[in-house]
Amino acid sequence: MTREYEGVFLIKNKLGLHARAATVLAQLSTQFNAQVTLYQGDKSAPGDSVLALLLLESSQGKEVKVTCTGPDAQDALLAIGNLIEDKFHESE
Amino acid sequence: MKLSTLISEDCSKAAVLFNSKKRILQYISELAQSKIPSANQHEILEALLNREKLGSTGIGKGIAIPHGRLPGLNNIIAIILVNQQAIPFDAYDDRNVDIFVALIVPDGENKQHLETLASIAGKLNNKAFCKRLRQASNDSELHQVLVEFDK
Repeated sequence: MTREYEGVFLIKNKLGLHARAATVLAQLSTQFNAQVTLYQGDKSAPGDSVLALLLLESSQGKEVKVTCTGPDAQDALLAIGNLIEDKFHESE
Repeated sequence: MKLSTLISEDCSKAAVLFNSKKRILQYISELAQSKIPSANQHEILEALLNREKLGSTGIGKGIAIPHGRLPGLNNIIAIILVNQQAIPFDAYDDRNVDIFVALIVPDGENKQHLETLASIAGKLNNKAFCKRLRQASNDSELHQVLVEFDK
C-alpha cells in the first residue's frame, strides 16, 4: 500500500503561482514517480499540468496543500515544498 | 473575464504561418504595437524575448502564452494566433506549439495578471475549445469561437 504524503505551504513570492512558477513546479513534478496534487480552497490541480495550476490563482500569502502518492511520494513532497519555500527561485 | 472582450477581432489571427519562435514573437510585437501607439515594436519584442529567456512560456499541450510587461500601459493587450503547423517552442512537455495567446501586461499588476492567466488557462484547458481554435480558417471565425465559448 502506498502512503499519501501531504504538506501545507505558504506562497511567499510576490508574483504567486504565475506562469513561470507553475512551469517550474510542473517540470519538477514530472521528475518523480509520484502523483502530485495541489489544493487551494475548493480547487485542485495535478502538479504536472501548468494550465490547471494557473487555475488555482494562488497569489502571495495564500496557502496551498500538496499531496503526493506513489513510490517517490516523500521525495516529491520534500522537493515541491522546498521550491515553494524558496519562492520558486525568484528574488522577491 | 470574457476572452472575446479581452481579445479583439483584429487581435485574432487564424491559420498564420511562421516557422520559428522569433518570427512569431516579432509578429506579436507588430500587432501589439498597433494597439499601443506610445510604445515601439522593438521595446515590445524585447519584453517578450526577455521573458522567454527566463523560461519558455510553452505551457504544454501545444499551447504557449508569450507575455511581457510594459511600464505606463493602461490595460492588458491580448492577442491570439493559431499557426498552421506546430513549431518548436521549448515547451516543458517537449510538444511543439501551434496556439499562442500573447499578453502585454502593465507593470506591477500582479493580482490582475494572475486572474487573467487563470481565465485564459480555464478556457485553454478545454480540449473542445482548442480543437475549434485549430479548425478556424479565418480571423473572424477564430474570434467567433472565442465568443461562442464565452456564453
